[in-house]
Amino acid sequence: MSMVPLLSLMVFLPLAGAIAMIAVPADRPTWPRWIAATVSATVLAIASYTVATIQYTGGPQFVERYPWIPIVNIEYYLGLDGLSVLLVALSALLSFLAVLASWKVDKRPKFYFGMILLLAVGTNGVFMALDLILFYVFWELVLVPMYFLIAVWGGERRAYAAVKFFLYTMLGAVLMLVGILAIYLHPQGGTFDMLALVDRGFPADFQWWVFLALFLGFAVKVPIWPLHTWLPDAHVEAPTAASALLAGILLKMGTYGFLRISLPVLPEAWAQWSWFIGVLAVISIIYGALVAFAQTDLKKLVAYSSVSHMGFAMLGIAAGTAVGLDGAQAVNISHGLLSAMLFLGVGMTYERTHTRKIAEVSGLAGQTPVLAGLFAFAAFASLGLPGLSGFVGEFLSLLGSWQSSLAATFTVLAALGVLLGAAYMLWMVQRVVLGEVSPAVDGMSDATPREVMTLVPLAALSLAMGVWWLWTLQHFDAYSEGLARVLAR
Amino acid sequence: MNWVVAIPALPALSFAIFLVASRRLRMKLLWLPIGASFVSLGLSLMAFTRVWPGGSEEAVWHQSFVFGVLGGRPLELSMALDPVAAAILLVVTIVGACVQVYSLGYMHKDDRQGWYFGVLSLFTSAMLLLVLSSNLLLTFMAWEMMGLCSYLLIGFWFENEAPRKASQKAFLTTKVGDLGFLLALFVAFNTIGAFGYEEILESLGNWPAAALAAAGCGLVLAAMGKSAQIPLHVWLPDAMAGPTPASALIHAATMVAAGIYVVARMLPLIALTPWVMHLVLYIGVATALMGGVLACVQHDVKKVLAYSTISQLGFMFMALGAGSAEAALFHLTTHAFFKSLLFLGAGVIIHAAHTQDMRLMGGLGRHMPITAGTFTVGTLALAGVFPFSGFFSKDEIIAVLIHEGDYVVAALALVASALTAFYVARMLFRVFGGPEQTELHEGHTTMLAPMAVLAAITAVGGFASPAFAEFLGGHGVWPELRVALPSLGVAATGLTVGWWFYGRPGVVVNTRIYKERFSRIYGSLEQKLFFDSFYQNIVIRQFFHLADLLAVFDRKVLDGIVNLAVTVWVKSAAGAWRFDDVAIDGTVNGVARADVFATKQLDSFDNGAVDGAVNLFGTSVLRAGAIRKIHTGNVQTYITAFAVAAVVLVLVFVR
Repeated sequence: MSMVPLLSLMVFLPLAGAIAMIAVPADRPTWPRWIAATVSATVLAIASYTVATIQYTGGPQFVERYPWIPIVNIEYYLGLDGLSVLLVALSALLSFLAVLASWKVDKRPKFYFGMILLLAVGTNGVFMALDLILFYVFWELVLVPMYFLIAVWGGERRAYAAVKFFLYTMLGAVLMLVGILAIYLHPQGGTFDMLALVDRGFPADFQWWVFLALFLGFAVKVPIWPLHTWLPDAHVEAPTAASALLAGILLKMGTYGFLRISLPVLPEAWAQWSWFIGVLAVISIIYGALVAFAQTDLKKLVAYSSVSHMGFAMLGIAAGTAVGLDGAQAVNISHGLLSAMLFLGVGMTYERTHTRKIAEVSGLAGQTPVLAGLFAFAAFASLGLPGLSGFVGEFLSLLGSWQSSLAATFTVLAALGVLLGAAYMLWMVQRVVLGEVSPAVDGMSDATPREVMTLVPLAALSLAMGVWWLWTLQHFDAYSEGLARVLAR
Repeated sequence: MNWVVAIPALPALSFAIFLVASRRLRMKLLWLPIGASFVSLGLSLMAFTRVWPGGSEEAVWHQSFVFGVLGGRPLELSMALDPVAAAILLVVTIVGACVQVYSLGYMHKDDRQGWYFGVLSLFTSAMLLLVLSSNLLLTFMAWEMMGLCSYLLIGFWFENEAPRKASQKAFLTTKVGDLGFLLALFVAFNTIGAFGYEEILESLGNWPAAALAAAGCGLVLAAMGKSAQIPLHVWLPDAMAGPTPASALIHAATMVAAGIYVVARMLPLIALTPWVMHLVLYIGVATALMGGVLACVQHDVKKVLAYSTISQLGFMFMALGAGSAEAALFHLTTHAFFKSLLFLGAGVIIHAAHTQDMRLMGGLGRHMPITAGTFTVGTLALAGVFPFSGFFSKDEIIAVLIHEGDYVVAALALVASALTAFYVARMLFRVFGGPEQTELHEGHTTMLAPMAVLAAITAVGGFASPAFAEFLGGHGVWPELRVALPSLGVAATGLTVGWWFYGRPGVVVNTRIYKERFSRIYGSLEQKLFFDSFYQNIVIRQFFHLADLLAVFDRKVLDGIVNLAVTVWVKSAAGAWRFDDVAIDGTVNGVARADVFATKQLDSFDNGAVDGAVNLFGTSVLRAGAIRKIHTGNVQTYITAFAVAAVVLVLVFVR
């Protein structure tokens, strides 16, 4: 298999699919979804193969490396390692499930499924790119389809939400580009090869500034408080599948950026910034949870829960110990599964009830036991019930921060966030899932087999990850250990 | 001996099957969870014989497995079978099997009973896992799993508000305690890099004092939540909203026992910090007294039992605080049998009387001899009457207190015992005494048989007292007269006073006089000593205020700043561009033109969407007020702004 350019396939197959959409005749409205499903299923198969066969040590695997713009040393350089392989798999899985979840989309299906595939090009590519400029290109590529998904298929205030999303992330990306260029132009830089740049010993004050620039770029994406305000609007207005992809994959680009670039390339700056990141992480955790409490819109509640949960990933990053970094990555994977599950569940409910008002949706358990059960599963998994995936990341991030040089206060406050998380999730379950059947829910049909098929894999993976930690930890622990060693120096 | 794993695994498996089975299939498979509980019971008996005659803390079976990897080091979980585990396994499986069989009769009309049996199995399984675990992290997982099961069982009738609220309250209140467990886990890992009991207990000599205190406090806090100690006891009385047999399981063999069990296991760690031990002791005695007092003013028969559980858990805490794990575990054992018996009996009584209010009951005894008989055995054990099991275990605790020199606490424990005897008599006479009622039916055999088994154990189990202590590796003694006499004395006093108020034939004592004379005290008792209203009105309400406030802050302030920043930024960028028109004009126009061209191409590809997008930019920039000053088009403005910002920043960096 070594001759087959697997990673390029994961980038170019969706791209080819997206281009093929143009050629689909207008009187064949079902073709786009079948094309999208076939392509994304193939990519998922390739991604699963890479997960199954990858080695965890000895540098990136499945490498494809060619000069791209030789005069400035820019390369087409793709590769997978323990940090990225699960994220690519997550991206492939979610885009396949997004296609399944969008089966009934009939407004401009060519354009819609083209955008879903184009998004997969960007999200797959961003985790595989080992060249900073290539990384940046994929990073920016993600913006475009997501912008259109929100702006064309979104809800009532889609215009505002799409522009806000675009402006925020664009601003962040420009700062990130500045940081990347600065690294390249520095005498000790001179390359865009991410792995070659690890621990190069840039001067401390240079590191400090570049870290700040990259920080802003990544922080917007995560999002870290107070740069999160684009997120609730984007989520609420985005169509269901886009919400799932946004929370499930796009946010992880931010934390991935920290783990792949900021920390290993600028370890001294991390040492200076870590307490600050820790403060923002703790604020994100508690603030996100509290604001989630006050929401009356189901989708907004889930959106703010993302702010809170991603705060745990940032806490692990601020900790910088192997355990904390493991925690950050575990949050990435788990939140990818669970936020997608929650958003899909909310979407399925909305499709039937035409309301997202928590006050109007109640009694799902009595009316639609399967959908309600899966939704409650996702809620319990995200509130950190041991045995399910949410706990792994939460626990390891907290443990890592307790071990680290961060003050114990950080851990204690963040642990309060665990309690708050349980509280708002349970309160949501109590109002929406349990209780008397409300008029909007009365007569609502339960999940169809197709819908069950989109949710069950996520639930099963969350369970597997929570029951057997080794299953995911074995992939990224070696990376975390190596990075922690760089940071500890 | 790896079959030991099957003890928790079989009930878990039957839950897993029930999870995916349809409602109809579950009904056909009801034998599965019940069968599993009996197989677990059989295996537990086998395990017990393997450990017999005990007498040491050695594990006869040990199993560990690599569960994860952290920083290159394997993360191990482990299970072990030692005398403590073997004894409690037996308690849990016996009570579990009794509750399962009883539930067949109790729940037979409920069309969701399949789910109920499934969760019951998972609950038992989690407790069995906790008992067998010899690793703090695994214990925590089983612990939390029990939190989930109690949530599902308490809220089983979720269509009604009370169970819904009670289940949420139970989950969140115990979750407060769980933060303590997390703390203990963190401290343990930070200190020795592992979670195993063995590693922890063997390394205690090297632990810094602060770590010992933090871990000990954390574990105690955790146990306070699960085992309903002041001030985290508030969930337990409300948990009565669940099905009665589920209450029997929660109050006897699983949930509340877990806290005591974990503290007993970790007692060598906790005991190294004396003030934590004192804390445990005082919390225990306060809880025992409070539970006893509040049980005296309840009218709901299940609430009486609930507060009595709180009170008895207080006794177990006292034993732990005095340093005796054996006494605590023995009381845990006897209490598990007689309290589950009492709950199962209460279930039959409630079915027969169609009410839970004791004031509406009375005269139930004649037509329900088996229920009355077994229930009386349970109540007498609870009151600490010889020769029932509760007498021996309570006596042992008081003996430990005296031996440790905690005379005041011992005296207060005797007061709590007197209160227990009083409310027990009140309950007995209210339920069974008084004029005979007709048309009562005795419970179904599936309900009575488990009660008979539990009653038999309660009647004679106390005599196992010294054997139990020796089996666990302690020193077993028979009750001493200097402890037994006062203890029996207060029990007799309590019962007599109870009889005087509620039991004299043909005499009805008007308790209202006392209620009016001591109206302030009685009022505060009726308010459950204000714990609930404090949490509800102060903590939770303020919490919601804060949440609302932050939500407004998020929308108005943070988003306001963002909007303002965009406005200022676009304006200043536009200004900069005008100022430095010539310098970057070429570049910008080039980029802008390319962009416009691309836009037009896309336009023809998909008119509406892109048009919409461009319009969006327009509107937003219009809002920002910049468009009027620039006539080159809004897209260009952005490109310019980005380009300017990027160039300036690059110059700053590379300088």
